[in-house]
Amino acid sequence: MGVGVYFCTCGGVISQQVDAQSACASIMEIPGVSYVETIEFMCAEEGKDALEQDLRRKKPKQVVIAACSPREHENTFRRVLARGEVNPYCMQMANIREHVAWVTTDPRQALTKAVSVIRGALGRVRRHESLVPESLDVCSDVLVIGAGPAGLKAALGLAKGGRKVTLVEKGPVIGGMPVRMESVFPGMECGSCMVEPLLDDILQGQHAPSITLLTLAEVVDVAGYFGNFLVKIERKPRYVSKGCIGCGECVPVCGVSEKNPFNCGMNQRQAIDFPFAGALPNLPFLNMELCVRSRGEDCKKCQQACPVENAIDFFDRGETLEVKVGAIVLAIGSRLEDCSIFPNLGYGKVEDVFTSFEFERMLAHNGPLGGELGSVTPGGRPLQTIALIHCVGSMDSRYRDYCSETCCQNAFKFNHEIHKLLPEAQVVHLYRELVAPGKGGYPLIRQGMQSPHTHAIRYSNQDDIQVTRAAERLDVRLSGDVVATADMVVLCPATIPSVDHRQLGGMMDVVCDRNGFFAELHNRTDAVQSRIRGIYLAGSCQSPMDLKQSMGQGMAVSGHVLAELVAGGMIEIEPITASVDDQRCSACGTCLPVCPFKAIHRQEDGKAWINRVLCVGCGTCVAACPGGVIKGNHFTNTAIMAEIEGVLA
Amino acid sequence: METKPKLAMYWAASCGGCEIALVNIHEKIFDVMDSFDFMFCPCLMDTKYHDIEALADGSIAITFFNGALRTDENIHMARLLRQKSQLLIAFGSCAAEGCIPGLGNLSSRQDLMDRIYRDSLTLDDHQGPLPATSTGVVEGNLTLPEFLPVVKTLGQVVAVDYSIPGCPPESHQVWNCVNAVIQGHPLGAKGAILGGGRSTVCAECVRTRTEKKIRTLYRTYEILPDAETCLLEQGLLCMGVVTRDGCGGLCPRVNMPCTGCYGPPEGVLDQGAKMISALGSMLDLEDAGEVNVDDYARRMDVLLEGIPDLAGTLYKYSLAGSILGGKRTP
Repeated sequence: MGVGVYFCTCGGVISQQVDAQSACASIMEIPGVSYVETIEFMCAEEGKDALEQDLRRKKPKQVVIAACSPREHENTFRRVLARGEVNPYCMQMANIREHVAWVTTDPRQALTKAVSVIRGALGRVRRHESLVPESLDVCSDVLVIGAGPAGLKAALGLAKGGRKVTLVEKGPVIGGMPVRMESVFPGMECGSCMVEPLLDDILQGQHAPSITLLTLAEVVDVAGYFGNFLVKIERKPRYVSKGCIGCGECVPVCGVSEKNPFNCGMNQRQAIDFPFAGALPNLPFLNMELCVRSRGEDCKKCQQACPVENAIDFFDRGETLEVKVGAIVLAIGSRLEDCSIFPNLGYGKVEDVFTSFEFERMLAHNGPLGGELGSVTPGGRPLQTIALIHCVGSMDSRYRDYCSETCCQNAFKFNHEIHKLLPEAQVVHLYRELVAPGKGGYPLIRQGMQSPHTHAIRYSNQDDIQVTRAAERLDVRLSGDVVATADMVVLCPATIPSVDHRQLGGMMDVVCDRNGFFAELHNRTDAVQSRIRGIYLAGSCQSPMDLKQSMGQGMAVSGHVLAELVAGGMIEIEPITASVDDQRCSACGTCLPVCPFKAIHRQEDGKAWINRVLCVGCGTCVAACPGGVIKGNHFTNTAIMAEIEGVLA
Repeated sequence: METKPKLAMYWAASCGGCEIALVNIHEKIFDVMDSFDFMFCPCLMDTKYHDIEALADGSIAITFFNGALRTDENIHMARLLRQKSQLLIAFGSCAAEGCIPGLGNLSSRQDLMDRIYRDSLTLDDHQGPLPATSTGVVEGNLTLPEFLPVVKTLGQVVAVDYSIPGCPPESHQVWNCVNAVIQGHPLGAKGAILGGGRSTVCAECVRTRTEKKIRTLYRTYEILPDAETCLLEQGLLCMGVVTRDGCGGLCPRVNMPCTGCYGPPEGVLDQGAKMISALGSMLDLEDAGEVNVDDYARRMDVLLEGIPDLAGTLYKYSLAGSILGGKRTP
């Protein structure tokens, strides 16, 4: 039996333009055609049943379905073919509805065109191979990198869905930015109070047993692919074990201290200390570089003060762990641009010029000032006027060619907080653009602007601003003119990719976009998937975003993973992938860089190997392979040429 | 009475290099003589066309046909030898894919005639007669074969049993083919390529490859390439990636980029188009995401300026037999 052709009249939609009888007669004359059948509505239940029964009876080797666009019903008919015991990939659709009936008015032309399209499909389908999807066992555990809002939300969602989660955090504290914030825009709720329930769930909630939290830990190697990643994690020593009850008895007895990096160096921390008050997990950590033990002294003060035996372990060496996971969630967050690269703004040189994050910490109860932003600056001068400079490094093609999204609302949050603490203080906003989307953004800005103590000045070029010290106060000049005399200047710098983006991305072939953030699969429809199957993105490591969006992405990712990586299940590998003829590959390496999904690797002998789990069958490597040794399954050159020849015949 | 099978070798639009490749099998030519009656080879012996016409159909066992089909005489001989031969083998790049004569398909017949007989700087008489199929002179009528509008490959005119690639075919490969016939080994399916590999020249090239990223393209006289690294990666337009192996990777071995004489590898329909496709993956336009389309196009132009004769470089051997075929000329 050769090729069976099924002609769908589409209830007249096709047959009123393309005469079915004449078309079938012409098709029968094409060599290789065994039979032609007409079905009125092939996609209707009766039509599908009729097709299935006819396939069972006639057992064609290949099938051409002359009907509508394959975009509409290719999968429908593939399923019918499978039911009728014909390999679903031995089918080709000829689109005689959209491509012919709908666009061709002259019936004679329509007939000729329909027959040409069908002839093309026939030429092609004879070269189709039977393809069988493969299945692969998968590990359904998940690795989440980054314990900020996005990572925590994803981890908890996954744990609730019954997954085992390894949550890796580089720092000693979890919770990300909100736990360092006195308040969160637009509603001004306390940041740490807001995320605390989530942190508690992670640490000791119902699903906490499914989550392995590793702080002071970093991913150092990733191998494998969707469903089967092997990840190497290096946990640095904390010197404080889980037996610790967080009482803090060790802290005051410690005799050495340093500038506390968690408070931007604005206060001191002991060598053994908490990062900041209320930091979770509620465990101090020991900075061994600072500890006198590292200088050979046998100090045991903290250990002696500790009420729990063995909670402090000076001989903690850390460890390297290997975990097997099926999916990876990148939620490593972002950072702020270094303001010292803008010398005209005074940061790092002029006293009382701060970054928005430093100011955030000054406002915070768990910060260096205990939330007491008094009537004097940290430099000890009277605090009457604060200038907030927005858009520092943002929306400037020389630095960051995008809007960092959160800074305007954050600056008006500051506006609100300043007036709460210092009702008479003047707040001057210098901004390039004001951006306040969403339900809460505009009311926040409007409210701030309504105050007689709030002033807004628009600038166009950041270079025109000059911040200098003038006696006891700070002059803020715009194009040479003093526009504000302030006591404190707060710079709101651009949100930029973290220091780990390139390295971590490189480790797992996740590419960064031109701004350095992780590139998403699609910026509108698939922003939480990377281009590598099984690696997902959540939070501001993908793009600058606020807490709401980060939490939303964390949830979206957990949904994605739960849907795609079914516990105890298999992943089905679509057979339309590319494959390398191993015998003929000359190891030239042309294909390697072109794969957008990083599915091609060199074997030991240099020859290319395509990972079918990662390959999506896009065909880029097939076109690039100069030796013609990469075959696009289901889209082979011979099949495509045969289709063209059939259409042109 | 000669009873050995007859062997013929004919040249159409050809340089003679294929005949040299055959005799370059050195003393093994005696084995050929032992096994065959080498009875027709205009380059080496004085058999006349009418001697061939007089033969019974299929009486020549093997004809090695080299040269492209440029004139009606070439076409006549292709048909005649097809008729008289059991096996007709397209021998070398010209017969198989058009080779250098095939580049004539980038110009019209008129342009070619003007270039040679009117515009050439070395001519004494820029108004002299043009070659014609028939020219009256005092002594009588002189005839010449007709110069056809396009160059064709042997396979475009008659059915070809096998092809041997190369410009010229490497002698060891020629011997492999002849010896296979002598030994009675099967030659493979009709239409097969004999004396070539199934991969590309890179498979025979010993240079190291790291990453195919080309910043600048150079012509061979512009740089002295390092002897270890892939020539393409050094910016020389080595056609080895899109060329069938079988030659032994000789050119890259002596620091010269492959020019593609073994033709497209198995499964590649158009060698030049394939090279363009591959180059699209290799030309490094830096971070394309950072530049606008015009800037991108400009960078591409600058890069491609490194190849002054794109068609002549990418289709040096394969133009006539390619999908592209040539340039449409009036």
